[in-house]
Amino acid sequence: MSISAEYAQAHKNDPAVLCCRAEAGVVLSEHNLEDPAIFDDLVESGLLNLEGAVTIGQALGATLTKTADSLTPLTADLLEGMKAAEAEAAPAVEEAAPVAVAAPAAAANAGVLKIHIDEGKGIDLEIPVGVMGGAAAPAAAVVAAPAAAEAAAVVAGEEKVVRSLIRKHYNITEVKRGPETKIEGTTLYIREGIEAECAASQELVLDFKLDIVTPAEYNTYSETIMDVQPIATKEGDDELGYGTTRVLDGVVMMVTGVDEDGVQVGEFGSSEGILEENIMWGRPGCPEKGEIFIKSFAVIKAKTNMTRPGPLAIHTATDIITQEIRVAMKKLDDSLVVATEQFDQVRRPGKKKVVICKEIMGQGAMHDNLLLPMEPVGILGGKPNVDLGNVPIVCSPLEVLDGAVHALTCIGPASKEMSRHYWREPLVLECLHDPEIDLCGVVFVGSPQINGEKFYVSRRLGQTVEAMDVDGAFITTEGFGNNHVDFASHHEQIGQRGIPVVGMSFCAVQGALVVGNKYMTHMVDNNKSEAGIENEVLGCNTLCAEDAVRALAMLKAQMAGEPVKAPEKKWNANVKSTNIELIEAARGAKIELVENEQSLPMSAKRKEKYN
Amino acid sequence: MRNIKLLLRQHVGAPCAAIVKAGDKVEKGTLIATPTGLGANIFSSVYGVVEEVTEDAIIIKPDAEQPDKFIPIKKSENKLDMVKEAGIVGMGGAGFPTGVKLGADLDGGYILVNAAECEPGLKHNIKQLEEQAEKTVRGVEYCMEISNASKGIFAIKKKNAKAISAVKAAIKDKPNISIHLLPDIYPMGEERAVVRECLDILLDPTQLPSAAKANVLNAETILRVAEAIEDQKPCIYKNISVLGKLNGGTEARCFMDMPVGISVEDLIEMAGGIDGEYGEIIMGGPFTGKACNLEDPTTKTTGGVIVTIPFPDLHGAKVGLLLCGCGGNEERMRDICAKMNGVVVSVTQCKQAMAAKPGGPLKCENPGNCPGQIAKVMEMKRAGAEYLIIGNCSDCSNTVTTCGTLKMGLKLFHQTDHVMRTIGHPLYRKLTVSKSVDQDLSEF
Repeated sequence: MSISAEYAQAHKNDPAVLCCRAEAGVVLSEHNLEDPAIFDDLVESGLLNLEGAVTIGQALGATLTKTADSLTPLTADLLEGMKAAEAEAAPAVEEAAPVAVAAPAAAANAGVLKIHIDEGKGIDLEIPVGVMGGAAAPAAAVVAAPAAAEAAAVVAGEEKVVRSLIRKHYNITEVKRGPETKIEGTTLYIREGIEAECAASQELVLDFKLDIVTPAEYNTYSETIMDVQPIATKEGDDELGYGTTRVLDGVVMMVTGVDEDGVQVGEFGSSEGILEENIMWGRPGCPEKGEIFIKSFAVIKAKTNMTRPGPLAIHTATDIITQEIRVAMKKLDDSLVVATEQFDQVRRPGKKKVVICKEIMGQGAMHDNLLLPMEPVGILGGKPNVDLGNVPIVCSPLEVLDGAVHALTCIGPASKEMSRHYWREPLVLECLHDPEIDLCGVVFVGSPQINGEKFYVSRRLGQTVEAMDVDGAFITTEGFGNNHVDFASHHEQIGQRGIPVVGMSFCAVQGALVVGNKYMTHMVDNNKSEAGIENEVLGCNTLCAEDAVRALAMLKAQMAGEPVKAPEKKWNANVKSTNIELIEAARGAKIELVENEQSLPMSAKRKEKYN
Repeated sequence: MRNIKLLLRQHVGAPCAAIVKAGDKVEKGTLIATPTGLGANIFSSVYGVVEEVTEDAIIIKPDAEQPDKFIPIKKSENKLDMVKEAGIVGMGGAGFPTGVKLGADLDGGYILVNAAECEPGLKHNIKQLEEQAEKTVRGVEYCMEISNASKGIFAIKKKNAKAISAVKAAIKDKPNISIHLLPDIYPMGEERAVVRECLDILLDPTQLPSAAKANVLNAETILRVAEAIEDQKPCIYKNISVLGKLNGGTEARCFMDMPVGISVEDLIEMAGGIDGEYGEIIMGGPFTGKACNLEDPTTKTTGGVIVTIPFPDLHGAKVGLLLCGCGGNEERMRDICAKMNGVVVSVTQCKQAMAAKPGGPLKCENPGNCPGQIAKVMEMKRAGAEYLIIGNCSDCSNTVTTCGTLKMGLKLFHQTDHVMRTIGHPLYRKLTVSKSVDQDLSEF
């Protein structure tokens, strides 16, 4: 269908094709041109051959010399008064576009593209054109010039540390059962018989077991992993997000469960199976290889796995153990501290002000989160975001890192953000540590089940972000499908206020966006899986440091007015590597990429999936 | 003649209230119903006796003798009052009360005469201009006077040479009235298309021509204005083209001055009767008309009665419907699909089609200029459609033909196909004529 003038400008380097019959003598305008977004399908099915087609920019204003019908690619011989191919110097990166876009495949390996940026520090980038040619995918566009013009920034104000959070680490090398819950040296004892109290505390919990899983037992079977949690407690009267937090190293809580009929507590995939085949080690939300798991296993009443009380009962029962450990931790002597970390919440007036908006699940059933409990990732004091109406809740970055989210979410394991994910949230850390930006806060917004409610919370998010007067915003989400409705709406709400937005989600193949709008132009795909799917490997496709780095570079480019290339029609894993290379070149430092499921022993389930 | 049925609502606005009762004797021109809100007077179109007054109509049994004489409307110095009194409404199909329309002050603007006769097959507008050009031109002058317009423009398709010559002769000494030639393309008679072609102003679907200081009036409406003012004649007659699968040929018979309310069956009988098996009877034009029954009455807005050949049988094939502002609404498109024994699997809507009011009829943002249809065709194909039924204008039909039929292998029906096949008119497929027309009148 014909396009708008604005759209034509945005696509001036795409091929020009008539959308309908145009008569000889017509001066071509956007009304005569077909939307380039549909060309791939047409070319693929042989309905369109774009060979020799001039660009939209060239065709606009030219006179058609011969009456031609719809779907006719405009070639030079059909036009008179055609503009020369654009070669303007201004936003330097656009020079690449005519080459890369007009002949997407053919331009590969065609030498080196030099980019010179006049503003800022005058960074010179050398980008192999072949790489540019193969760039971009749905939900992942190429960062053209990361971290470019930012340097020319506004007069920087004084950096200000708003508050600090101390994490004291205590090392645990052994977990044993004993008559009381206590920590002696590096050994954690858990009281024998505590399971009965855990089970008794929850009406819905019919059976409760506790397993200590050491690295030697990683090859044993487990039910689906509902959550991975740090074992941490606040010191003295300190509140979450402030003061000092004590945390145990070398050990994590792991929550698992099934219902009476043996149904896994999860939706859209589950990770039950041999542990080492189903956990993506080292993801922010996952265990590290070598850690000991204190693994709960609860059986809840039949059919309560898809209700709100069911999963909550498993989490609450498990927290009885965690809480008893927390109490023991409070008695620990400082001599046992093996490391101390300090997180400063720094405000940087004068720098680009950004906000992180994290969409979390709030559809009900297990799709819920307890926000801001009293203890890190605790139960007590936490408010379910479903009960809060899923409206935006603003947290400080330190609250996020201090266990503000107790994640009950049981969406597909590969994209689920577990409680530990927030404890180590890479985007929050990246922004907090970047001296070029001013992170003002983290907004959690729930994803309700009903569309009307999705738009309700999304409008609140837009208003919240507007009131913050930010220069840029991130929107992240976990899962895929239904939650992408609000994810898209969040982009619209924030984008229409003129605020640059970068979205982050697992998309790739299986999670391709179901909806979209014109503000969804800057996206980072969290996918790591080989095939671009929800592979049911715990944490595989969650937001990692390498994604945070790309998103931050993309937002900086956008805030600096640098163009970012449009996505390709189909998911292409090369987009990410291209962007990583660009950022590495700009930073002069290597970015280590995490491994994917191919590094794990192949499970029977995965074998099926990949065949 | 069978009974005459005068609907109480044959115009835009509220139904009129009957002021006669069963048993009343009426003559041509007897006022029988008056407006209750926006509306226009309704007069008896025959001599006869009121047989029944129902909730929505007055039914009159006509006398055997029908003299030409009629009861004149009240003479007035105020021409607008006479138009109102005569109960004239827009006779091109819209039915907006002309007395209200002409009441707007055009501030030196334009009276645009819609003589496009855009619906293929209909002929009565052109026949009227060929035979009554002078009276129609006087009608234009009355309309200009009433609504304070300084210019009148006849919008007419270039192919109608005889009518153009007649109008040209009639306006020879009238510098304020001119002719604008139109290409032979559907829908040049769409109200906003007439404004765009004549004045080069593209109105938004929510705007009225008054936004361009113009009033668009159908050629017959203008003639009836002249009749009301000069002859004190009430609006009791309608010119109607009857065509299609009829004994004696498919060409249009133009029945001039038919009594409003005459049944479809009477008209078909006068035209020779239905020739064997038929598909449907359409009241109105092939694009915007609707299927009707033999006993249905005509109204002040009825322009055509068309008898079609039987429909092809798609044997339950999957069909995609492309809705737009030019053809039938969804109900009509589904009606045609059902009559062809197709199953609707996808309904799409042209990107230029929009409802001026929520739930109102679709209007085209730029009538007759295709915005591209490939994405819609792909959507219907993806939904599994093997056939498409469209009601698009010439330009959009060309696009759908080019991309849908010729390139994607979909089979295409235009909602007018059965009519076009009946009357031997080319089907709406590839566009072969130019959209631009040389305005040189010297050849006429």
